[in-house]
This record gives sequence, structure tokens and C-alpha cells, in this order.
Amino acid sequence: MSDGKIVSIHSFRGGTGKSNTTANLAAQVALTGKRVGVVDTDIQSPGIHVLFGLDEQKMGRTLNDFLHGAASIREVGFSIGENPGEGQGRAQLKGSQLFLFPSSIKGGEISKILKEGIDFNVLNEGLQTAISEFDLDYLFIDTHPGLNEETLLSIATSDVLIVILRPDTQDLQGTAVTVDIARSLDVPNLLLLVNKALPKHDPQAIKAEIESKFDAPVTSVLPLSFDMAENASRDLFSLCYPDHEWSKALKNVVPFILNAK
Amino acid sequence: MPGLFDRLDKEIKDRQKEGGISPLDLAALPPALRRIMRVMLRELSASYPRLCDAVDSMPEKDRLSRPELDSALSDLTEQFWLIRIGEKEKAIYKVNLRRKEGSKLAAGIWSALENKLKGRS
Repeated sequence: MSDGKIVSIHSFRGGTGKSNTTANLAAQVALTGKRVGVVDTDIQSPGIHVLFGLDEQKMGRTLNDFLHGAASIREVGFSIGENPGEGQGRAQLKGSQLFLFPSSIKGGEISKILKEGIDFNVLNEGLQTAISEFDLDYLFIDTHPGLNEETLLSIATSDVLIVILRPDTQDLQGTAVTVDIARSLDVPNLLLLVNKALPKHDPQAIKAEIESKFDAPVTSVLPLSFDMAENASRDLFSLCYPDHEWSKALKNVVPFILNAK
Repeated sequence: MPGLFDRLDKEIKDRQKEGGISPLDLAALPPALRRIMRVMLRELSASYPRLCDAVDSMPEKDRLSRPELDSALSDLTEQFWLIRIGEKEKAIYKVNLRRKEGSKLAAGIWSALENKLKGRS
């Protein structure tokens, strides 16, 4: 088995801030000197490329091309360290070993996947080959919300699964389902991350309650932030505003990833 | 003229079309089999001695005897959940994941959508 670890980031429901959190976490881990990949397996509704400053023109080859046999995974990997683009936050990634494996945002490509389905043997080969060919220490997988088959595959092959949830009854019920499935798939490190917690509530109390409910560690409690909303995915918030409460809380998650067995 | 590798690759691809295991099926397997499936998924394929090593490193309560491992590998191969190339000690195993089916919407919907999208770009 390759030494590189797969870190899947999942949420049962949409709107939890999964892509924003994944991109910021991957950037923070890359800034520790690790070689990091980020793959967007949310093929139906891709979005994480925006946080890395990519659009349809800059994107080049995509995961869709790889799945259709039109590109190698080597061709899909886009070096953020060499092309950090504009944005004061992303500029700090210049020279880092951070690679993005984006999904296509072309309507025709998305409908082609929906119409033809996905060969999971090819998808899994792509994920494992990305780790070996790019000599990655960590491959972050940004999954589609809910439990579809590609999400289950990424959970089944993960070393670390981070489930993002809001302190909301619907999220709590959905997270219970995800946690059950992750346990039945023997994920070695199951971690929780609370996002969009109301500032009036005590983060320690939220952490204690959720840890007790799911019997799994809560890595951090990120506050609901209007500043974060105002950023509107234009840049990597934790790099732009490193002293902001949201950024400081996010950085608490990094040691959990680096110390995962 | 195709070489040995090309022929083996074609053989694997042909067999992969014949079914396969879904990620949900993985969750339903006994713990020891889930672990060896995980080894094969992460390493893409594994030799028989590698699988024996993986079984030997499991907690004693989950560990399979060699006859139990051989029987499990044989059953999984018969179901096309595993693909075996070669025999006995020299066998190489690979997980055969079931393809995600495409949408069952009428074909006309997809061509209409495709034409509409082409018209925009």
C-alpha cells in the first residue's frame, strides 16, 4: 500500500461548507511542507476548483477526461504551487506541492457522466495512481453530499474520514447514518467537524454533546461567519485572514490529519 | 502485436464487464474479507502471498485460516467480485467494482440536453 493517506471529506447534507473547508484544510496541510492532492469527486456538481482560482478556460484536463480514457491522471493534476493565480490568500501557495484534480464544469460533460454512469474500477485506479504518480502524502477527496456510490467507494478506501455537520437536527440525523456506514466500512480514523455554529453557543459544549452522541472525536467547532460568507469562495479564507476565529478553529483540525495512523 | 501485458490487461477488462461488487456490498462482508478487499482496492491488485500477510496481521479473533482464506477467495472470484489471474500461490487478485449505471431517463432527453448545451457554447 502506498504511504499516502486518503482523507475523505463528507457531509450528509449540502450547504455545510464542505468544499470551502476541504480547500482550506488541504492548503493548510500543504503549507506544512506535505505533498497534497485534492480531487473533486462531486462530478454532478463540481465546485472546489473555484476556491483555487480555476475556471473553464484555465482548467485543462479533468477527472471526466480520465474516466472516459481521454487523459492520464498525470495530465489531470493541476499544480496550484506553480499556478496559484490571483488572490492574496492563494498567492501563499506559490511553490507548495499542492495539486488539484478537478471535475469538468461543462454541462455536456456532466450530462455525459449522468447518462453513461461511472466505471468505479477506473475511478479507484485514478485515485490510487494519483497518490503514487504525484508521490502524495495526502489525497483529499471532496465528495458529493449524501450517500451515493462514489462517496461510499471513497469512504471504503479512506484512511481518514472527516464528516462535516452543522449543529442542526437534520444534519445530526444524517451524520448518524454516515457514521454507521463508515464504521461498517472500517474507516481507520473517523473524525467529525462542526461548521456554522452560532457564536452565542459555547463551542466546548457543542463539542462535548456531539462527541457523546457519536462516540467520535470532534476536531473543531467552526463558527458561523458573515466574513466567511462575504468571501463568497473568491479565495482561501484561512490564508487571507489567518487570525480570524474561523481560520484559527480550522487550523485545529490539521494535527488530527497529520497524526492519523 | 499485443504483448503478454496487453493480453492480461484485456482479459481483466473483459472480466470486469461481467458484474462486480458495489461499495455497499463491501460493508456487508465479514471483517476479515473487508480488510483484504481494502488492501486490494488501495494497492489495485495483490498477490496471494500479500493477502496471506494481510490476514496474518489481523487481530486473532478475525484471522482466517489458510483453507478459510482459499475458500473465501474462490467464492468471491466465482461471484466476479474478484478477478484472479494465475493459479494458487502465483495468483494475483484484483477487486472488480460494479459500474455505476447511467440515468434511466429516456435517451431523447439526453440528446436534447446535449444539443441545447452545444448551442450555448
